[in-house]
Amino acid sequence: MKQPEYQRRPDAVPKVTGSLKYLTDRFEENMLIGKVLRSEYPHARIKRIDTSAAEALPGVHAVLTHHDVPGLNRFGIVMPDQPVFCEDRVRYTGDAVAAVAAESAESADQALAAVVVEYEPLPVLDSVEKALTPEAEQLHENGNILHEASYTRGDLQQGFAGCTCIVEETYQLPRQMHGYMETEGGVVVPESDGGISVYMATQHGFKDRFQLSRILETPEEKIRIISSPIGGSFGGKDELNLQPYGALLALKTGRPVRVHNTREESIRAGLKRHPMAITMRTGADESGRVLAHETTIYADTGAYATLGPAILEFAVEHASGLYPIPNITTTGVSVFTNNGVAGEFRGFGGNQVTFALEGQMDRLAEKLGMEGTKLRARNMRKPSDTGPLGQGIAPTDGGRMILEDVTTWQQLPLSNAGETAWVKNGRGGAVSMHGGGLGYGRLDPSGGRLALTKEGKLEAAFGFEECGQGIVAVIETVMKGTFSCNEEDIEITIGDTNKVPVSGSTTASRGTSMVWTAVENMKASFRRQLLIEASRVTGTAAADLYLGAGGVHKRGAEPSLFLSYKALAEYVQDGDIETHTSFDFPVTPDEIDSGHYLYSFGGVSAEVEVNLLTGTVRVLDLKQSVSAGPVMYPQGYRGQIEGGGIMALGYTLMEDAVMQEGRYQTENFDTYLMPGVKDLPDNVTVKPREEVMEGDIHGPRGVGEIGTIAVAPAIAEAIYQAIGARPEKLPVSREWVLQQIQQRGLLPWNKPEKIPGG
Amino acid sequence: MEQTRKDSRRIEHRQGKYACTFRVNGKEVSVDASPMDRVVDLLRDGLHETGTKISCGIGRCGACSIWVDGRLTSSCLLLAYQVEGKEVTTIEGMGTEERCSIVQEAFMNEGGFQCGYCTPGMIMAAESLLRHTPDPDDEEIREGLSGNICRCTGYSGIIRAVKAAAANLQ
Ligand code: FES
Ligand code: FES
Repeated sequence: MKQPEYQRRPDAVPKVTGSLKYLTDRFEENMLIGKVLRSEYPHARIKRIDTSAAEALPGVHAVLTHHDVPGLNRFGIVMPDQPVFCEDRVRYTGDAVAAVAAESAESADQALAAVVVEYEPLPVLDSVEKALTPEAEQLHENGNILHEASYTRGDLQQGFAGCTCIVEETYQLPRQMHGYMETEGGVVVPESDGGISVYMATQHGFKDRFQLSRILETPEEKIRIISSPIGGSFGGKDELNLQPYGALLALKTGRPVRVHNTREESIRAGLKRHPMAITMRTGADESGRVLAHETTIYADTGAYATLGPAILEFAVEHASGLYPIPNITTTGVSVFTNNGVAGEFRGFGGNQVTFALEGQMDRLAEKLGMEGTKLRARNMRKPSDTGPLGQGIAPTDGGRMILEDVTTWQQLPLSNAGETAWVKNGRGGAVSMHGGGLGYGRLDPSGGRLALTKEGKLEAAFGFEECGQGIVAVIETVMKGTFSCNEEDIEITIGDTNKVPVSGSTTASRGTSMVWTAVENMKASFRRQLLIEASRVTGTAAADLYLGAGGVHKRGAEPSLFLSYKALAEYVQDGDIETHTSFDFPVTPDEIDSGHYLYSFGGVSAEVEVNLLTGTVRVLDLKQSVSAGPVMYPQGYRGQIEGGGIMALGYTLMEDAVMQEGRYQTENFDTYLMPGVKDLPDNVTVKPREEVMEGDIHGPRGVGEIGTIAVAPAIAEAIYQAIGARPEKLPVSREWVLQQIQQRGLLPWNKPEKIPGG
Repeated sequence: MEQTRKDSRRIEHRQGKYACTFRVNGKEVSVDASPMDRVVDLLRDGLHETGTKISCGIGRCGACSIWVDGRLTSSCLLLAYQVEGKEVTTIEGMGTEERCSIVQEAFMNEGGFQCGYCTPGMIMAAESLLRHTPDPDDEEIREGLSGNICRCTGYSGIIRAVKAAAANLQ
């Protein structure tokens, strides 16, 4: 029997046996089915809403519109600008107009169909360009610009004056869908005290509670959010989605209400990754020192804000990545349109801008006649360099380490090179740097609690959510490592606002790092409390006791287990042994808004095979080197990078939720293609570089995002190495590849055509 | 008079239900259904056997995979009348919390899941593959799992799991 390489996750058995109840699996007695009516138009005025026919249908218990929202009829993490129910205007086809609760899904469907909404269509602003024209209708009070962000240092003109080599390109990035397998939904249960329990996925229970309290005009204490386990999120479930509708319907009917999006509903209403157009002009001197770098970013944020401003700022910050270029100007504009709402997505704006930046490096390297890795090495940050915004950051040598690996991998021979005339291979490498935490100037509190429970378990409580990333495994590993206890000794409490301390959001690669820090903060006090209590109970000096598997152990005794945690718990009152910590995610000491302090690094080397006959690009080899501090839970770490890598492969080669005139051209997984097992490269390698600088006190950085960042530029460069054409638009379509092949006459029987403009 | 109408999935429904009888994991069950109800809904909503998941509803993701008379199939594309009198096997019939199957053990050991939402369907596919092809090569593994999407793991851990399970089953 093959021995397992890894420790199993605590949620392993319920997940592989199907016994785990997700929130969308919940069933309550007397439960109604809720459904939401979304706008028929991407942009329209609402002339009239008539719900009387729907209300009159048998089995229908409630039909709600904007008239039925007791509090603020808006939501949004940063600024509440999205209507729970639209009053007089719809701004995208995911806008909610009404919601119903009925005895069955069938009667709910009938009720939705019976709601009469009269619209007066308005011109559809389906692109950034249209939304920015002076005649464009204003989508929001302050116009069509959600946010602008910029960063400048040095003198761009002077910088470019010293350059012998300048490259300029505009990169187009697609609207990627999160594609979590569990769609949004769950059950809301009205409680006897007039409050509610909301069983729905989110990445930050307390934030949902706050937002719902504002909408329902109900005190936060009366709202309980139960939000784990989650069938995938990747940022997409951080913002409210169906919670307001479930809550309003449950309060209105006094009965539990289940709402669960179909995939079609999820695609129509749900967030996507920001499509961006990024223009970069980058110049270097003869020796390859990059002296000047100018970036302009246009982001299509869709109809509402959600985290759009923060994502733009993140993109602006990361526009120069790991290279301390002396002269930089970066400007970004995030623009409202009538397209689907764009928001938080694994990588948070870093993916888009890194594709552009690394594309520039490869273009420069070619022009300079240098190896791409060599150019990167010449410009690589030093451990003591400031962050990309000039802010002080935790010293790190991560960039150099991962580049070292990429450089080695780039030397690998191509597989099956020259075997067939119509298959060409190429290898490309790219690197990235990614900030963790929310950044300077944003509230970013965290914390945790350790306690001995009545049942004699060491309870570790955190306000983090389990969306698959394995935070429960991280908590278990850190607890075992710190207290030398067994899995069975530990009880993990997460995902319930009535039970967990404030830990902040489960986003921004912060969970692992915050769990580790919290336990570091609490371990001495928790250990002391347990030992003092054990000493009191047994009359043995605390100095002779230590914590271990199963309970308190005694030095020199055989067996050493002296007093089980269970026995100890019998002597103490609930809550007697308990310790808390609260602290903030570490931030840069410099007052530079949105600047990060802890960074992780990812380097990628990818080999592709391009079929000249079909235009198909297949990734054969995907190697990732990651510097994010020590590895806490190896299986989880590896899984994050492997899974992130394949998600990014999809971003590069196949995924785009195309919109036309403000309408999704895709409704489901038949027209939105995500990587399947056949797209998996033959070889996927993950190499953690765990070393940190001497004296580093920050422990592990999270790896939830870093595996998704540098994959696209590496694959793009590999394609260039194979066919001599550089993709500047993702996803790289077969049509484009074939066109390039045709233009270059790469097939022996094709004559090269003149390349337009070439 | 019988009424027909279409729901949001554009599936035609008839009023009037009947007792649909079939076997689930060896036990005979009878659920109120109209012939056009999807089997995935009968399992999840009618029988509260929620190990079988629903994700795309159109046969593209495999989250709802079950076996009907031993054949792997998507329960979101299957209507009640199609399982009448048949033997349905779901993830609940594969192994229990106390006694996991070799494939389930391998998924746990090799990182074959993260969020776990695709996992029941993936395991149904993997079990089916290994029953029909006990010693699959790489291509056969990919073929066997090609109807199932996993957004979390990037498949590497799943392939490791299937290989380990195949070795352990020998
Ligand atoms: S839910 Fe049946 S295949 Fe996706
Ligand atoms: S484990 Fe989440 S989709 Fe496969």
